[in-house]
Amino acid sequence: MKWHLIATAVAAITIAFPGSATSQQPSPSAKWTKTYVIEWNEPAMYYGAKTGVIDPGTDCPIGTNPSPDWIKVLVDAGYTLEEAKWLRNPANPTRSPVHGQNQMAFRGKDRANVYVNPTSTPDPGLVGVSGSLAEGLNLDGDENTGFTSPTGEKGIDNNFYKALGCWKTYRGPHRLSSGALNFNDAMRDGSWTTVIVVSGEGADPMNDNHVKVGFYVSNDKMVKDGSGNIARDYTFRIAPHAKYEGILPARTSNGVILSTAPADIMLRDPGYTRNLELLRARVNLEMKPDGSLTGYVGGYRPWEAVYKGWVNARGTVIEVLTWVQLPAVYYALRRNADYSPTGPGGEKTHISFALRIDALPAFVMTPDASQEVASVESYKAIAPKETATTTAVPFLVVDGIVPDRNAKVQAGPNAVILPPAAGSTKGPQ
Amino acid sequence: MLTKKARWVCGVCIGALAFAATPHAQTPEPTSGKAMPIKVAVLRITETQYRHTIADVFGPEIKINARFEPEKRVERLLAIGSAQLSVTSSGFEQYFAVASSISDQVLDEKQRTASVPCKPPSPTQADDACARQFIERYGERLLRRPLTESETLARLKTASTGAKQSGDFYAGLKLALTSLLVAPEFLFRVETAEPDPANRGQYRLDAYTKAARLSFLFWDSAPDQELLAAARSGVIHTKASLNQQLTRLTSSPRFEDGARAFFTDMLQLDGMENVIKDPTIYPKFNQSVSYSAKEQTLKTTIDLLVHKTRDYRDLFTSNDTFINRPLAAVYRVPFVSSSDWAPYTFPQSSERSGILTQVSFLSLFAHPGSSSPTKRGIGVYEIFMCLPTPNPPADVDFSRVQDSSKGTVRGRLLDHMNNPGCAGCHMRSDPPGLALEHFDGLGQLRTMENGTMIDVSADIYGVKLNGAQGLGKFLHDDPRVPACLVRNVYAYAVGRKTEKQDVDYLFDQAKAFASNGYRLPDLMVQIASSPEFFRVVVPSGVQRASSTPAAATAPLQKPGGVFQ
Amino acid sequence: MSLPFNRRSFLRGMLNGTAVCVALPVLNRFLNVNGSAFADGAKLPVRFGTYFWGLGLTDTPTGGTRWVPSKTGYGYEIMPELESLKPIKDKVSVFSGFRVIGDGRPNLVHWSGHASILSGVAPAAPDRFDGPSFDSKVADAIGGATRFKVLDIDASASRQPVSYSTRTGATFAMPETTPLVLYTRLFGAGFQDPNSGDWKPDPSVMLRQSVLSAVKDQREALMAGVGKADQVRLDQYFTSVREMENQLAIQLQRPEHCAACVVPTAPRETPRSATVDAVRANTKALAKLLAMGLACNQTRVFNFVHTAGISETYLAGESKIYHQITHDEPIDATLGYQPETSRLAGLVMQAFGDFLIELDAVKEGAGTVLDNSLIMAFSDTGYAKIHSIENIPMFLAGGAGGRHKAGQHIHTTGESVTRVSLTAQQLVGAPVGEFGSGSMKTARPITEVIA
Repeated sequence: MKWHLIATAVAAITIAFPGSATSQQPSPSAKWTKTYVIEWNEPAMYYGAKTGVIDPGTDCPIGTNPSPDWIKVLVDAGYTLEEAKWLRNPANPTRSPVHGQNQMAFRGKDRANVYVNPTSTPDPGLVGVSGSLAEGLNLDGDENTGFTSPTGEKGIDNNFYKALGCWKTYRGPHRLSSGALNFNDAMRDGSWTTVIVVSGEGADPMNDNHVKVGFYVSNDKMVKDGSGNIARDYTFRIAPHAKYEGILPARTSNGVILSTAPADIMLRDPGYTRNLELLRARVNLEMKPDGSLTGYVGGYRPWEAVYKGWVNARGTVIEVLTWVQLPAVYYALRRNADYSPTGPGGEKTHISFALRIDALPAFVMTPDASQEVASVESYKAIAPKETATTTAVPFLVVDGIVPDRNAKVQAGPNAVILPPAAGSTKGPQ
Repeated sequence: MLTKKARWVCGVCIGALAFAATPHAQTPEPTSGKAMPIKVAVLRITETQYRHTIADVFGPEIKINARFEPEKRVERLLAIGSAQLSVTSSGFEQYFAVASSISDQVLDEKQRTASVPCKPPSPTQADDACARQFIERYGERLLRRPLTESETLARLKTASTGAKQSGDFYAGLKLALTSLLVAPEFLFRVETAEPDPANRGQYRLDAYTKAARLSFLFWDSAPDQELLAAARSGVIHTKASLNQQLTRLTSSPRFEDGARAFFTDMLQLDGMENVIKDPTIYPKFNQSVSYSAKEQTLKTTIDLLVHKTRDYRDLFTSNDTFINRPLAAVYRVPFVSSSDWAPYTFPQSSERSGILTQVSFLSLFAHPGSSSPTKRGIGVYEIFMCLPTPNPPADVDFSRVQDSSKGTVRGRLLDHMNNPGCAGCHMRSDPPGLALEHFDGLGQLRTMENGTMIDVSADIYGVKLNGAQGLGKFLHDDPRVPACLVRNVYAYAVGRKTEKQDVDYLFDQAKAFASNGYRLPDLMVQIASSPEFFRVVVPSGVQRASSTPAAATAPLQKPGGVFQ
Repeated sequence: MSLPFNRRSFLRGMLNGTAVCVALPVLNRFLNVNGSAFADGAKLPVRFGTYFWGLGLTDTPTGGTRWVPSKTGYGYEIMPELESLKPIKDKVSVFSGFRVIGDGRPNLVHWSGHASILSGVAPAAPDRFDGPSFDSKVADAIGGATRFKVLDIDASASRQPVSYSTRTGATFAMPETTPLVLYTRLFGAGFQDPNSGDWKPDPSVMLRQSVLSAVKDQREALMAGVGKADQVRLDQYFTSVREMENQLAIQLQRPEHCAACVVPTAPRETPRSATVDAVRANTKALAKLLAMGLACNQTRVFNFVHTAGISETYLAGESKIYHQITHDEPIDATLGYQPETSRLAGLVMQAFGDFLIELDAVKEGAGTVLDNSLIMAFSDTGYAKIHSIENIPMFLAGGAGGRHKAGQHIHTTGESVTRVSLTAQQLVGAPVGEFGSGSMKTARPITEVIA
């Protein structure tokens, strides 16, 4: 019974004095905090059509990029028409991850694997966005570079959108692109949770010049409510993470949180890439009257990691399901990359990007579960050493394909495509 | 102006006389010759009593996977209803199936060395000696008294038939155990009275019946070895032994089981399993929330009344409680803990007031898609004040009830009160519910409804109060509330409705309860040590032991026969 | 332990015939030309069921009726709240104008109506009947030869499982409430497929019988010194024991081949919901299983509750429950009735249509399970707004093996509901000459619908 009294006493004390006691790094207690859990996040896009998900619009006048003609692609890559037809016949290489039309990977010069060597094949030419509107943030402070936002703000830097915005996996109205659905379903079913803490020192949260925004990982799963939405007001405990954490200085103006200075952060990416590194990151988030939070966090992200994420999710499957030639993605990202971390003359390894976020009010606890968080601070110092991260897909992917250990003939530059005359059992599976 | 006692009496009377009581014969004078034992009550054991008994006798690893027959609430208590239940054929099928399952587990090859107290000479043949040991040991624990020789012989026959037919001694034991587990003397508490040696011509409850009453009240389970021993030797009839047992029973952690079972019954928490809420109106509701809500109320009650032995009336005003993560989301408070459950105290600003404003009470007494002041008002009166609500009269002119254009539930109800046919009941039943209108049908705080601030003022027969905290204080201060608890504890303990003749006794017990600081464990001990606890009430039409067997089939009653 | 008679002789006594359910080969040899009876004239076995729904149908004192057809006799027109019966209207007779006569007893709301229909007398208290429900009599007459004497089913997802079937008036049956639970009871452990070629008597069944003997042997000792009311309840316990014995005895006999019996696959669990749509879906799923349970001869008597008398059902997303709407909604001046209430009544009746169609979907002999059954459907009230026990809607559905001259609208003014109850009992061959007590006592069945 005694533990009971002590526990009650502790609870009473911590409720009475928020922000005291147990945080690792002492910092001035904030005057106010607002805490949220991200219930939806997807790359900021702008859908320029009035209907549908793939219809022609101001962003993509011919609509979403159609599925490549794979027979033509193979013939262009040097296969005979007969070989191309045989490879594309569903009765032959099936769509399983093991067979996965693995041979499709080998269409570079001298049958090089185009997933790991995209420049071994000429740029197929991914059609990008040709409209002038985009969602996102003004990352370089220059109103003359970039798009105009749907609400009229100039200088939106979002070349990720420019390069890939007509690609089926990314294109669509809010929450309707196939990629967004896929990754958010997984997140909402409990794969991961990101919480947001906003704290400030002023008297009025809606108008405060000294605000901080923190993005953190939680190991507590979100809970769906009876309507299939994420339920509000659940409590999440911050799990200190060696990589995924972001702290940004900001101010609020009429309830909108705007960055006051850039910061370099890393978040959990809602995609196969996993690590969303954002250099010179900024936020533009609106605290709505119903208590929710909606807006953008953006910055310059490494573009080659995006490409590799798709490749490692089984290149052949991605290409067929999302209607794209992956080398085209590589070329498109490379040619639209607009930032070099080493300075103006350096190689542009990063591309402007924004993540659109919807978040619901939630309670957030400190890592030791002793109190609600009272201010935005970093927990990286107490994070456990990073152990091997789980793979993005539950298959063993090598060079963008899943090798079939049991196949008599492996896909590859030297593979014989067509089976010999009828009756033989040789030939690729 | 009614005196305090008269007002109290009124309150209990209304409760006690709500439904016609069975006329009870006086304790009969035995005619010449030996007086035979009589069976004063037959109460079906509840699901939790069944489960606790099996766990006690065979161990907690025994899995029980069955659908138990629904229980019946009579005069607000399932305990009273248990004396009116039988077993339907579907129910018997379930008992039969689960009895076979339990026997299989108990006599499983790995378990049998522990569960069988002897070894037969041959495992493939019948053996009466070892079978008898097994049957007598478990028979006594399950039937809560030693088996008669006839009962033992019947099971021996089953065991030996089974062993012979299947070539397995243990298969025979399984059948014998199954027959004990479906026996009416196990499924029902057959309360027996014997001639009282201290009072010629009177009856007293026999020792095993007394033991069972004590153990079901305090531990919600069958008597353990110690209680059975006290019954066997007869010392349980003595004051000293009774007091000793009471101390033992209440200082054990198992007392929590008994208290839980009592409050689950009194607070009608058995209903939480089946509460349904509309998923679009109350999306936060789910099975986890309803299970947690029941658990919260029980944890709160047990902590306050059993662990901390606080004043019972604090249940209506104290906001010390326990929550878990799903409940915290419903209450919209942070859940600051790494355990499943954590203590939590609602602040004043939450408008909460004890168990009246916990999700369990608020959601039970509401509709799937809205709150219900009428249901809540009726709930407050019935559960906490023992004042049942009469049925709506058949001659209410519902044709004049028009839909209200008022924006709040309260407004609509007040509009209905303009209809004289409706006003009579609703003026009485609605006010406590109206005071709780800042909590919606799930128990979430809401102060506005359709753009209007919700008025939570209420007038309970002249007592004006405001909001849940006002209602909590009202219940805290009203003497009918602790009196109702006294009545409930007593009725629960003896499995009987309270009658006119109980009024004086209950009044005295209520006085003692008050002077002891309204502590629940003391109340239960007090009642259990009073002579009324073991009072014999002879039901009408008691047959003495006769050799004429009753009709072989249940007689089909002619229509029109009134049963009672 | 052996029965004094075997199952066949028992059946012979009841039916003057042979098999309980017929196989096609038997059909060819033994049936008459129409396939509607055995060649010796004995009828095919008939099933009986009750179907209950709460909150009545719309028929207001000011004259707005949404269910009483204007035509009587054959060819009644389909009224708005009975739309769902259109596909099978020729198999359904409608009874209007029948009422409860309380002989001074007050109308106990949401109780007196169906208590009177089932027990024949207006009840004195709102939690009991003053006599057994008559389905138990029917079960005694025709239910002894099947594994389950009676099946009780409740689709309503109510707070407490709902059943109005009682032998004593004090305790009611324990119903199955979900498709999975009903499936398990019918086709789970203990089910013997009547069409399986390799049936063998299960020796463990005989051993289980010995368990029950040990219990029954103690009856006399137990009953000594017991009060009258307790005796009745203990007798019910022993009745349940006997029904278990009967089940075991039936399991020791090779089941008759049933051509119509096709063992279904186990249904999935569905989340519990009391919305009108969910309860309708639940009713349909349960009806499907019930129909096959009847075809497989697992029972011949059933009681089905769609919604309780005090129904808590509601339209998804609405804050008011149907029951509340029946009282709150004003009568529309132009229409003469409550439009929302009437819409809800029609939605509730859709489940009844679904129910009958499921029974009609299982072919049996020359017809369907519905043709070989008689279902009496009824509610707790007529006009729900005022808890009226005048003009309680009642239906008889199914062919009763040819005895029911279905498809008629029978209208009366002020006659007792018990006349319909008596008619139902006689249509299924229960040996009943009169039913009801006091002013509701009747010996006159409604001969217009009896062949």
